[in-house]
Amino acid sequence: MFAVRVWAASLIIVALVLVALLVVPGQSQQPLFAGKTVTIIVGYNPGGGYDLVARLIARYLPKYLPGNPAVVVQNMPGANSIIAANHVYTVAKPDGLTIAAFNRNLILGQLVKAPGIRFDMTRFAWVGSPASETTVLTIRSDLPYRAATDLLKADPAVIVGATGPGASTYDFPLLLKALAKFNLRIISGYPSSADIMLAVERKEVDGRAGSYSSTKPFIERGLVRSIVRGRASVPDIAQLPMDEDLVPDARSKAVMRLRSAPEIIGRPFVAPPGTSEEYIRAYWDAFTKVAQDKEFLVEADKAGLEINYVRGDQALKISRDVLGAAPDIVKVFTQFFSFN
Amino acid sequence: MLETFLQALLEVLRWDALSFMLIGVVVGFWVGLLPGIGGATTLALMLPFVYRMAPVQAFAFLLGMHSVVSTTGEITSILFGIPGEATTVATILDGHAMAKNGQAGRALGASLTSSLIGAVVGAAALALAIPIVRPLVLTFGSPEFFMLAIVGIAFIASLSGRGPRGLVRGFLTGCLGLLLAAVGQDPQQGIQRYTLQQLYLWNGLDLVPVLVGFFAIPEIIDLAVRGTAIAADAPLGRLSQVRDGVIDAFRHIWLIIRCSLIGTYIGIIPGVGGGVAQWIAYAHAVQSAKTPAERDGFGKGDVRGVLGPGAAVNSKEGGALIPTIAFGVPGSSAMAILLGGFFVVGLVPGPDMLTKHLDVTMSMVWTIVVANIIAVVASFVFLNRLARLTNIRGALLIPFLALLTFLGAYTSNNSLNDILVALVFGSLGYLMVRYRWPRAPLVLGLVLGEVAERYLWISVARYGSAWLARPIVVLLILLVVGVIGSSLRQQRTLPKRQGAAGAT
Repeated sequence: MFAVRVWAASLIIVALVLVALLVVPGQSQQPLFAGKTVTIIVGYNPGGGYDLVARLIARYLPKYLPGNPAVVVQNMPGANSIIAANHVYTVAKPDGLTIAAFNRNLILGQLVKAPGIRFDMTRFAWVGSPASETTVLTIRSDLPYRAATDLLKADPAVIVGATGPGASTYDFPLLLKALAKFNLRIISGYPSSADIMLAVERKEVDGRAGSYSSTKPFIERGLVRSIVRGRASVPDIAQLPMDEDLVPDARSKAVMRLRSAPEIIGRPFVAPPGTSEEYIRAYWDAFTKVAQDKEFLVEADKAGLEINYVRGDQALKISRDVLGAAPDIVKVFTQFFSFN
Repeated sequence: MLETFLQALLEVLRWDALSFMLIGVVVGFWVGLLPGIGGATTLALMLPFVYRMAPVQAFAFLLGMHSVVSTTGEITSILFGIPGEATTVATILDGHAMAKNGQAGRALGASLTSSLIGAVVGAAALALAIPIVRPLVLTFGSPEFFMLAIVGIAFIASLSGRGPRGLVRGFLTGCLGLLLAAVGQDPQQGIQRYTLQQLYLWNGLDLVPVLVGFFAIPEIIDLAVRGTAIAADAPLGRLSQVRDGVIDAFRHIWLIIRCSLIGTYIGIIPGVGGGVAQWIAYAHAVQSAKTPAERDGFGKGDVRGVLGPGAAVNSKEGGALIPTIAFGVPGSSAMAILLGGFFVVGLVPGPDMLTKHLDVTMSMVWTIVVANIIAVVASFVFLNRLARLTNIRGALLIPFLALLTFLGAYTSNNSLNDILVALVFGSLGYLMVRYRWPRAPLVLGLVLGEVAERYLWISVARYGSAWLARPIVVLLILLVVGVIGSSLRQQRTLPKRQGAAGAT
């Protein structure tokens, strides 16, 4: 008896709700994200650069996405963010409520067919990259070498500390050594770029390549001076020679350009393949506005970010260019680059 | 300088800084109690809140939070045998054994007192190191890092059980630990080792699920099998127990101070990692045993096994701040995130922190001290109630403990594989306890293996064989010989008893 009454009551409630839904003005009138929650999946643990960018963006996105959704950050670390990228490619729903931030070099990983990769970069729905990353080679200021050309005939070889393959600390000097014939000795295996700076300080190594933003304090303190930069640049170091200018042949230039292509899309954000264009355009719009927000720019500057929003369609084009590189270039590139 | 020192105290005690610190302490208190989620992660999550704070407020908040995490992490380790933090695992060996003997209150009192002393020593070291910080950090290069790791590994000898059989078992589990440290991509070329084609294993075994499983699961099984409360038949904890623990701490004050110095120095060395200090301090405490009965008592509830690691873990943070402040090079993963905090509040770590911004640096020293005093005093208020938890029937605790264990493991990567790893190491841990194989050497091998491998490679690549002739390396080699020699002598002079007794 009781059960029947409960059933009847539930039915009435459901009916009432259905009627209410018909009476309420059509759903299409609602802003796209109203009452929803956007999840940003980050391919690293809290604390790293990618996480920092995602958390900063997450605080400003609600203001500019139509309907002011809540934005939460979820960390999915592992395998240098391949796990997160695979997840967004194969598992996450393309409902416009999930976007992901992962390693900029995944595109190069796909190019050299690194194991474990189950995504195609060009099939993601690209949101874009809010910041670029500039690579610069610095050496200790007390060394007698001032210009890039001095390093051709450095004697003894200039010792460059590095983390390992797949990181700019390693790949950038490696190409300079192999293609531009810089006299460098690369010692890899340091746990992080900060540890390399300490090794520079105690003269265990002579220099380090890495992102300009993380090296800047050490340049300003006079510990190191910058010598060469990669293609992506900021006004501070625009006058430095670019690695591509130091090699004579077109093929070497192309190999170097391939290495630095991901740095222009330094902090890639994508949505699962098949996410509707309506949502993607909303993200493009919101990211553009965030990148112009005064408060955001102040905070980003404090965090050492080079804010430079590259919209999704441009980022996709860069990705296509990378993956469409000529086979002979890729072959040379693969000799030097392994994705880790 | 003294004036700045005192002025910094006033700044820390100003209402705004103090209230931010209190918020930080409350957060850190809970994070410490909960297994898995660690101090570094919490710092990263809290970092966005400091964008609008002044430097002293920001560091009162962040450092206040971080410096109490280990202090309260030990409470979980002692009461339940579940590591509250990856840095408070060594405390379990004797701390939880004491809880099982009905001495939870005493263990907690001892642990908190030693934590506080350790924190003060670490902070004092930070303050005193300011004039000599550059040579202090710069004399240690990669060859010295490698040798320090070897010194740590040499302590395996004193963490093993007694007798030849005990030594062999300790050595074998230590080797297993070193092998497990090799899982993942190698640090130089990124070649995959033992990754079983699992993306999850690319970055190596994560310490948190390994440790949580390895120590907590055997305790849960044990509790279930015994079918009693944690403190089986021991009488209900008396109020005076906590006081006994405090007295214990002062009775062994020199041990605490020595272990605090060990912790401080390990903290100063960037890259050796927070997990190491507790084990070396524990091994050092074991070495302080003078009679066979004393030596066998370790692992079964010797208060010194609680005091040593407790002091080292808390003094480590003061030490870790030294390279962070002076060079902008973090001494631990938590410090790496704190470094982000420096930039956010507009400070550039480096020599300026020792001159122009000396007041901020000094305020950090005070923050560590004041935050720990607050946390310890607050904990003392609850201690007796907490100790009573060990008298609750096991069947009522087990679901709760299992949940905490698996949640703790899961928080490290948010992956089901974390739980699998915890289960595998839980089973291994159970078998090792059951058959009296020591667990500590495995952990020591696991935490030091990567450091040793990495820096051996760098030393050889950079210096050839010349690194062996560096003065500090030679000193450390002698120290290794001394450590092994003294534990062998301890083995020999102590009359033998049956087999591998005293396996921890």
